[in-house]
Amino acid sequence: METKQFTAKDYKSDLKPIWCPGCGDFGVLNSIYQALATLQVPPHKVAVVSGIGCSSRLPGYMNTYGFNSVHGRVLPVATGAKMANLDTTVIGVGGDGDGFSIGSGHIPHAARKNIDITYIVMNNSIYGLTKGQASPTSPLGLKTKTTMYGNVEAPINPVRMMISYNTSFVARAFSGYPKESAEIVARAIAHKGFSFVEFLSPCPTFMGREQFTMIREQASFIDDSHDPSDEVAAFDIANSEDQLKLGIIYHKNRPTYTDFVRQIQKEAKHGQVAPPVIELLKMFEP
Amino acid sequence: MAQNDIVIGIAGSGGDGVVSAGEILINAAASDGLFTFMLKSFGPQIRGGESSVRARISQNPIATQGDRIDVLVVLSWKDYMRFRTEMDFRDNFVIVSDADDKFPEEDIPIDMSRVKAWYKIPFGEVAKNTAGSLLAKNIVMLGAVAKLFSLPSEALEQSIKKKFSKKKAEVLESNLTALHAGSDYIKDNFTKDDDISFSYEKGEPRLVMEGNEAIAFGALYSGIDYFAGYPITPSSEIMQWLAAEMPKYGGVFMQMEDELASINAIVGASFGGAKAMTATSGPGISLMNESIGLASMAELPIVVVNVQRVGPSTGIPTKTEQADLMQAIWGSHGDSPKVVIAPSDVEDCFDTTVLSFYIAEKYQIPVIILSDGFIGQRKESINPERFRSMKYGFKKVNKRLTPTAAQLKDFRRFKYTENGVSPVTWPGMEGGEYQAAGIEHDELGWPTSDVDIHEKMNVKRFAKHDRIKEEFEFVRTYGPDDATVGIIAWGSSKGAVKEAVQKANAEGHKVAAIIPQIIMPFLTKPFEKFLKTKKHIMVAEVAYAGPFRRYLRGFIRFGDYGIKITPYSVSGGAPFSVEQIYDKLMEICKEEGCSK
Repeated sequence: METKQFTAKDYKSDLKPIWCPGCGDFGVLNSIYQALATLQVPPHKVAVVSGIGCSSRLPGYMNTYGFNSVHGRVLPVATGAKMANLDTTVIGVGGDGDGFSIGSGHIPHAARKNIDITYIVMNNSIYGLTKGQASPTSPLGLKTKTTMYGNVEAPINPVRMMISYNTSFVARAFSGYPKESAEIVARAIAHKGFSFVEFLSPCPTFMGREQFTMIREQASFIDDSHDPSDEVAAFDIANSEDQLKLGIIYHKNRPTYTDFVRQIQKEAKHGQVAPPVIELLKMFEP
Repeated sequence: MAQNDIVIGIAGSGGDGVVSAGEILINAAASDGLFTFMLKSFGPQIRGGESSVRARISQNPIATQGDRIDVLVVLSWKDYMRFRTEMDFRDNFVIVSDADDKFPEEDIPIDMSRVKAWYKIPFGEVAKNTAGSLLAKNIVMLGAVAKLFSLPSEALEQSIKKKFSKKKAEVLESNLTALHAGSDYIKDNFTKDDDISFSYEKGEPRLVMEGNEAIAFGALYSGIDYFAGYPITPSSEIMQWLAAEMPKYGGVFMQMEDELASINAIVGASFGGAKAMTATSGPGISLMNESIGLASMAELPIVVVNVQRVGPSTGIPTKTEQADLMQAIWGSHGDSPKVVIAPSDVEDCFDTTVLSFYIAEKYQIPVIILSDGFIGQRKESINPERFRSMKYGFKKVNKRLTPTAAQLKDFRRFKYTENGVSPVTWPGMEGGEYQAAGIEHDELGWPTSDVDIHEKMNVKRFAKHDRIKEEFEFVRTYGPDDATVGIIAWGSSKGAVKEAVQKANAEGHKVAAIIPQIIMPFLTKPFEKFLKTKKHIMVAEVAYAGPFRRYLRGFIRFGDYGIKITPYSVSGGAPFSVEQIYDKLMEICKEEGCSK
């Protein structure tokens, strides 16, 4: 039994974030500290895995295990880390470019396998680390260093995409509301299966201060009347792009990959202790 | 004339049961204690098309599939045409074919003056009339061939019994009937008018294995915890075998969405403390290269199997090649140290896999196993004792260095050490929390762009190579030490080189060969010894642009030794034949006067 009570600062490392002043990622980081403290997960049992981008620096600011891996591969690295030790709490973090552009091919598979990890995408609709190019969630018409004549590509709607991939937990949070966001993240981590949080995390440097103001104007919390297991209602929330609904949008439990691993191992063992591997040479007798 | 070494080629369409007939035949031979070697060949579509096998059976140890076919069995001449360039025949060889084949005989591209006898047997008709099923025509064929050439017939019966033991009794019965019907058909209709007859002394049964199976077996033997992979020819058998066996031993097997996911998942699992492996080929290994570098940088042990096939791009998926060498050694951007190990036959696949896990875990470094389609998909009889006496298989040794309680007080995951290895922790270990990273980092794991730290970290990461070079001497040599003519080859080319050197030695030519199994780091010591007496060396490889020769030149100044180099680089598709190597060797011998 754990006797020590963990507080948010127990999850904080000594490394100082390199993020710009006013960056939304500070709020995300604090929400994660708070969520872990709420759940009382010991830091050594947590692995935070990231890809590449400003937001992917986050694991370094945590006093847990961390892995700042390569661009776009948060989900496979996190999957491997989870499978190595099924008791580890694994949290994948990254930006909208890392997740929805270079890494987007991995999302449906983590979702359909229902890997028991949490994936937090800090969405600022811009490439910040490379200094301001269009991202897959950049709005139409946005002028950036690579869309000098205005963005012509329809942005991805992350929540809609995740629900359609059969993700078992889909939520949206906003770094401007750290307390509520910490609750949402805690629910996501506690969820058994693949949980996704679109964390609206403004970039004042490349999207201007008005991004923050705009989100605050558009964002509101989901009514208590919403039933997250109602897929149609969840899609309706996802589709109403002019009113950014915050909270748990979709949630439906189903067996997780961890369950499958245990089930397959049980079935394979067939109630018997496997013989020493060398005995398997018998299989190759002619 | 009685012979104790025979090569039988069988060609037919996908549904003819060519491969299963070949398997039954070599299994029968191996259970009678014979040495066997079977090569499968498929058309480009992999599934559903034509197929052929070449089965060699011998009383004595063999290292190749045999250059020349003694007996050609054709179930369909149309399908034979696809493999005509892959089959060479001895003089006075024998053909056994389907009497009902409507293929025009004048279109058969074989010089009939070299054929001693041609037996035409209505395989399908005999199968239908006796076994009651056309499906048994491959078994009728086996019965006929065994009768004609005195192949182990009792063992064939046992082999069929074993193969169909899980099927309904009628199925087994009808196959045994088919076997006898084939034999009877020969007895009733032909008098033997060729001189091929196999004779042997029965011995202890041998095991039969494919290279891919031996790698999978080696991984399980090493205690693999996690495998993630994506199906690709010719490596898929590795993942298939592990998919069935790993869960019994508490391991986790995952089929991923692509090779990017596979390599990153095993790096993630290694970070999580698991012994992790993936296996791939061709395009798959190109995709994986980025994160092999991630494992170099984060100093995480992983084992990556590349069963090479013809490239570039899709190339010829079903055919073998040795052209991925430079990619294995120098692939991935930046200075990324890795270890490259090459098995040279099926038994080697087991040894080198166990060795790879040992090196990976001990030195916290990615290890690439460079196998190829030739080794991966062939069946060879193996010596089980070699497996039982494996030196590096002990799990006690095969374990990562973890920090002591004192070291944990000021834990530096990437602490500079003389041999480059620093203690490692993983999630679940209290007090060992750190950040692994693909970004350059300091001893604590924090990101840095400091060039001095980068230099120090390179020294640390590459120090592992020096230690590995000191710890192992993994090469094979053949022929007398004082030979002046030599061959350097690697991987699956060993078989042809070994047999060519043995043949030349038996004829009194002083030639020798060296085959390194650890390719990177380069094992200087055994090469220095080998080079001392040499005047002329042939570098043989199945890769058009000669990557192995160029790699050797990077480590050996042949000029300093006064050694002349003769390159022998051929395009992939088929492995070297013994004759190819032998003939080239004789040209050099003539020039250097190495023959008595």
